[in-house]
Amino acid sequence: MIAAAWICLLTPLGAALLITLAGNRLSRRGAGYLATLSVAVSFVAAVVTFAALLGDSPEHRSHPSTLWSWLTAGPLDFGLRILVDPLSVMMMLVVSGVGMLIVAYSIGYMDGDDEERRYFAYMAIFVFSMLLLVQGGNLLMLLVGWGLVGLSSYLLIGFWHQRPSAVAAAKKAFVMNAIGDATMALSLFLIIQRTGTLNFEAVFAQADSIGGPWAMNLIALGLLGGAVAKSAQLPLHTWLPDAMEGPTPVSALIHAATMVTAGVYLIVRTAPLFEQAPRVLELAAGLGAITLVLAGLIALVQTDIKRVIAYSTMSQIGYMFLAAGLGAYANAMFHLMTHAFFKALLFMAAGLVIHALAGEQDIRKMGGLRSLMPFTFAGFLIGSLSLAGIPPFSGFFSKDAILASALDHGWYGQLLWVAGMAGAFLTGLYAFRLLFVVFWGEPSPFVREHLMTGSHAHAPEGHLSHDGHATHEHAGEGPFSMTSTVGVLMVLAAIGGFLQFAGVWTPLSDWLEPVARPLVEASGTQEAVSSVLAVLLGLAGIGIAWLLYGARSSEVPRVPWAQRLFERKFYFDELYDAAFYRPAVFLAKALERWIERPLVFGSVRELSQGVRWLGLDTSRLQTGLVRTYAFAIAASLAVVTVVFVAVR
Amino acid sequence: MKGPDVMWYLAVAAFLFCTGALGVLIRRSPLIVLLSLEIMLNGANLALIAFSRHHGQGDGQIFALTVMAVAASEVVVGLGLIVAIARRRLDLDVDKLSTLRG
Amino acid sequence: MILASAANVLVWTVWVVAAFACLGTGIAVISFTNPFYSALSLIGNLASLAVLYLLLSAEFVAAAQVLVYAGAVMVMFLFVIAYLGGRADAPWAGGPSWQALGAVAASAALFVEVIVVIGLKTSGRLAHQAEIDSSFGRPYEIGRLFLTDHLLAFEITSIVLLVAAVGGVILGSHSREAPMTEAEQ
Repeated sequence: MIAAAWICLLTPLGAALLITLAGNRLSRRGAGYLATLSVAVSFVAAVVTFAALLGDSPEHRSHPSTLWSWLTAGPLDFGLRILVDPLSVMMMLVVSGVGMLIVAYSIGYMDGDDEERRYFAYMAIFVFSMLLLVQGGNLLMLLVGWGLVGLSSYLLIGFWHQRPSAVAAAKKAFVMNAIGDATMALSLFLIIQRTGTLNFEAVFAQADSIGGPWAMNLIALGLLGGAVAKSAQLPLHTWLPDAMEGPTPVSALIHAATMVTAGVYLIVRTAPLFEQAPRVLELAAGLGAITLVLAGLIALVQTDIKRVIAYSTMSQIGYMFLAAGLGAYANAMFHLMTHAFFKALLFMAAGLVIHALAGEQDIRKMGGLRSLMPFTFAGFLIGSLSLAGIPPFSGFFSKDAILASALDHGWYGQLLWVAGMAGAFLTGLYAFRLLFVVFWGEPSPFVREHLMTGSHAHAPEGHLSHDGHATHEHAGEGPFSMTSTVGVLMVLAAIGGFLQFAGVWTPLSDWLEPVARPLVEASGTQEAVSSVLAVLLGLAGIGIAWLLYGARSSEVPRVPWAQRLFERKFYFDELYDAAFYRPAVFLAKALERWIERPLVFGSVRELSQGVRWLGLDTSRLQTGLVRTYAFAIAASLAVVTVVFVAVR
Repeated sequence: MKGPDVMWYLAVAAFLFCTGALGVLIRRSPLIVLLSLEIMLNGANLALIAFSRHHGQGDGQIFALTVMAVAASEVVVGLGLIVAIARRRLDLDVDKLSTLRG
Repeated sequence: MILASAANVLVWTVWVVAAFACLGTGIAVISFTNPFYSALSLIGNLASLAVLYLLLSAEFVAAAQVLVYAGAVMVMFLFVIAYLGGRADAPWAGGPSWQALGAVAASAALFVEVIVVIGLKTSGRLAHQAEIDSSFGRPYEIGRLFLTDHLLAFEITSIVLLVAAVGGVILGSHSREAPMTEAEQ
């Protein structure tokens, strides 16, 4: 079992190294197959580990394994340590499973790109990093994985590096994540100072004796900072929409299914620490709730297909934070899993659309694709229904569990419950707005031009379209690699919810019980009321979307100030620009002008000038006149004689 | 044979030396400079011989003879230089021969 | 005793005459405008020095002085002066310049210093002259010293003379003759 866990972790790394070292000797397709194969092997290994873990009794399902001692300093000893336990195995399955599907999808999506090998190497590194994050047996390994996924994200967002917008987005993502990394590191320092170790079991065992409220709050805040940054919650959320500059599979894997959920995983994993700082937990839940609503509002006015889905991701992670913050850890993880399915499905279906329309991402140019791309439409429909929480799709089960458990937390929980309900309404609205605008009605002129004239050859060859990928011919709605994987995800998104039905059938909660004991438990009536209301609100949202965008029987209400507020994303970008970027630039410029130029340059220049003047002055002694030299000798002789005589 | 003490001879030698030095510093013709140089050397020689007599050893005289030989060689080279300068139609004036200025 | 004091007076007289001749010709060398006169003054200087050497019982050196210095070196000087003509500068013309004043001061300072130093520092030790025997200053003695105690100096001196001869030949050769103008200087 331990061996399987290590194989799961290291195979993608090996693939990345192989692809890198093979270089041109490996064909582009070959690199794609190699990467997919490695992640598939990872998935198989994860399944093996899972099966082996099932064989253990629930209390003994925690198996650490250290490869070697990495950092030692005095009494401190941090090793390359992984931990196989229910939580990490669940994450391994999700990451490697969904990862395998998405990497396979990329074979078709990135076909023809010049730098396909680099892409697959980066994807393999990402899978490795994410697995390291979830399998890490101490906080240090988790942090290493944390940083590495940040790096992979940067590399993949800026994959089409000729585009300045992509490069800028990559930098933005990395810098904001770095803020989170910094706060996390500070937490780790505190923990090391007080416990001398970072191993999970050791730290959690001493969780209540690490320190007083101040220390625990600081530690929890630091960890929360990292989680907020990585999961794109308020206030560190502005990087996620920009991250859509990367290729669509990247958005699917990193910015929907796995990396952005790492924050949720962190909170659930370090729950014993967070439980010592309950205010911080509540803060996490509150941030999740605010993000949920805000992201939903912004998604209502987005015109880029990927951006809508990105804000939807932000919103859904808000749900997960809400759950984790209230202590409903299993529900948060359940939603994480189902969200991975349907969000990846949505992104990949969107990728099919983009691919078919030669890189176009503006939904205002789309319309009527339902008849032209029925398979894609089916995928999108299933994904959207799941997103909106409509039974029997997976999202219904997981989202409702979260909402219901919020009711068990007193007045604060009920407040958050209201926010969650509002979010459900908004979700239905924006998800189906997207669906109807893109797929319903008559095909738009753009669509006509691209899809109905018989072939794709009308798109200009070789030019870098919206998302940079070349156009090519194929039968059907997309290459087999793309359609097959979307099909698998459709099935998962449809039936994945049956894994857990709150109150009746809870294998997932039982599985995670030893690791993350929930703090809240909804009663039967609370569950029922909450579910019914949530579904009704979701349907209401769908209905309104139908009226506005499907049947086009009413006008979209014109509220200019709201429109502008949502379109400008609540002015967060402008706020950060004014609060952080401008002062930093001003400071840098001032320092350059007042300190660097006069002091540093000046001193160097002054020094060289001084030396030159000294040289010039001294060279005046060289008169070339013999008499002067002789006189100098005679005079010095006279002086020296006196000195000698006086001294002796 | 009594006579002046070695001190007197040393006084003469010092005067000769300083006279020679003065000549080197003041005169502009390289020929005269060379001559002044010879005077300086002779002053040194006189001092050497005086001390040799004072100590009763012949080493000072050996040194003086060597100085004489070296002075002769130096005069050869110096005069050769002056002749070469004159042949290039340059002014025999040490103030004008200053191309080695820095 | 009278003989001794008469000898003393004689020695002193000779000494005074020779010493003043030395000093006078020395000043003459640096004062004359005509280089020819300067060279002749130097010959006189050398001769008076030879007399002084004789008074110091250095007979061989005196003879060598006259033969080598006055006889060879000065003759060479006179050849060159004759070849070059009488162009020389007037040292005391144009009033005392800073340089001249400074030079005089320096030399005067040196002279005074030497006298003072010798007077101050060597008071006791220069009082008694050593006794010498008749072989002092004889060619035999010089030769013996050259070839035993100071053989190295002897040999090196010969090399120096060789180098000087070669240098003189090179400097005097015609191959590098190219009249340089004032501008090229």
